[in-house]
Amino acid sequence: MAKKLSRIFLLSKLWAVFLEGPTTGGYPFEPLQLPSGFRGKVVMNAHLCNGCGLCVQDCPASALKIERFDKQHFRIVYNPARCAYCGQCEISCHRGAIHLTNDFNPAVQHIGNLIEVLVERGLPKG
Amino acid sequence: MSRFTVPIGPQHPLLKEPLSFQLTLEGEEVVDSVIRLGYVHRGIERLSEKRTYIQNVHLVERVCGICSHVHTTTYCMGVESLAGVTVPVRGLYLRTFFCELERIHSHLLWLGVLAKNLGFDTVFMYAWRDREIVLDIMEELSGGRVSHAANVIGGVRVDINDSQRKTMTVSLKSLSQKITDLRNIVEHETNFHARTRDIGTLTAEQIRQYCIVGPIARASNVDVDMRRDVPYNLYEKFDFSVITRSEGDVWARTTLRIQEAQESIKICLQILDSLPPGAVAVRAKRRVPPGEVICRSEAPRGELLYYIQSDGSDRPARIKIRTPTLPSLAILPDLLRGINMADVSAVVSGVDLCIACVDR
Repeated sequence: MAKKLSRIFLLSKLWAVFLEGPTTGGYPFEPLQLPSGFRGKVVMNAHLCNGCGLCVQDCPASALKIERFDKQHFRIVYNPARCAYCGQCEISCHRGAIHLTNDFNPAVQHIGNLIEVLVERGLPKG
Repeated sequence: MSRFTVPIGPQHPLLKEPLSFQLTLEGEEVVDSVIRLGYVHRGIERLSEKRTYIQNVHLVERVCGICSHVHTTTYCMGVESLAGVTVPVRGLYLRTFFCELERIHSHLLWLGVLAKNLGFDTVFMYAWRDREIVLDIMEELSGGRVSHAANVIGGVRVDINDSQRKTMTVSLKSLSQKITDLRNIVEHETNFHARTRDIGTLTAEQIRQYCIVGPIARASNVDVDMRRDVPYNLYEKFDFSVITRSEGDVWARTTLRIQEAQESIKICLQILDSLPPGAVAVRAKRRVPPGEVICRSEAPRGELLYYIQSDGSDRPARIKIRTPTLPSLAILPDLLRGINMADVSAVVSGVDLCIACVDR
């Protein structure tokens, strides 16, 4: 008797789920709804950056690198293949120059093509 | 009767993480078992000595993929107490909110894994479908489903606005109803009873002998919970009960975890109701004064302990992590001895092992 009751209980739940319809989304055939705070690719407002290097110092995955040519001239290079998308660079930047976007799918054929220069001030000597 | 050995793992459908069992069988009965660990050792404790306190927040988050937030919470609590930083009340509320969401997510994930291993795919799919509600809330707030990066030294980096608060209250109330349904299935479904009742039973003496913590201890009537015993993150302000059961078998652990998830929803709703205004974090100095600290918290699987030693620089001198599931692994050979081969999956799933936590 108890076994019969347990079957009926589960059947009612199954029926309710059947009427609810699918709960999964249609991505990649439909666009994916991402929350506003989604931590995706890192971008930089180059004119706000003063080259203090805090983002590079705090990056736990060494995804950011700073190349200094002299006091005013530097270059910040970002490697998404190393990035953990933790958002620490965003927290560390006192000038609000760096932030994480909703871009989550930067597909390339060669991994080296992912590397990009976020800020460039001046050119290397020689 | 002749004996033979069945190897399970390190890669096996029963195990969600790499772990190796060598089961010695006599007919269908398990007579001996040997467990091998170390397949996901990443040297996190050593690595943490080479990194700054700020970088380590993200490193300790990767100790475990399920209880990632509680690792950073415990680590940040330790560093904050060494540095003498006081976290704003709103920041503490949000930390607790994430900790409880993580507990719900962990328990539902575990229920799904157990049901799958028992061959009960309906509950597996229901549990993982309902878990998405929690993951959506966490993603909405922090931008990540599993690695939330919500904690910083000095508070949290996430905040809730009023409209989010309202929608999250509705979502959590609907989740509470869905968890009640799951509980009804677990309590009434006779197949579930047949696979989990009187299997993998642990007594309170065994629990104390092996220093087992968390839901497994509470399912054997050992009343330990860091949230109540050593309150942190303002847990003393919230109304919740510590669930205990006396049966000590896999079924008791299942119902206890479902009840705990419901208690966590209760805490989350209280937080959303009474969230105070103000800042969520304060800026902390990069260098931490010399000293040492032990910090404890209640992770979804039990008591989590962090020992942090500082030499006054911006990097810790030593970090030691004691995760809750190592003693559960120690008792597993005793639990497996004498059971039927078909029940191995129920017993192994029942203790909710986290190999990534144990290996670090």
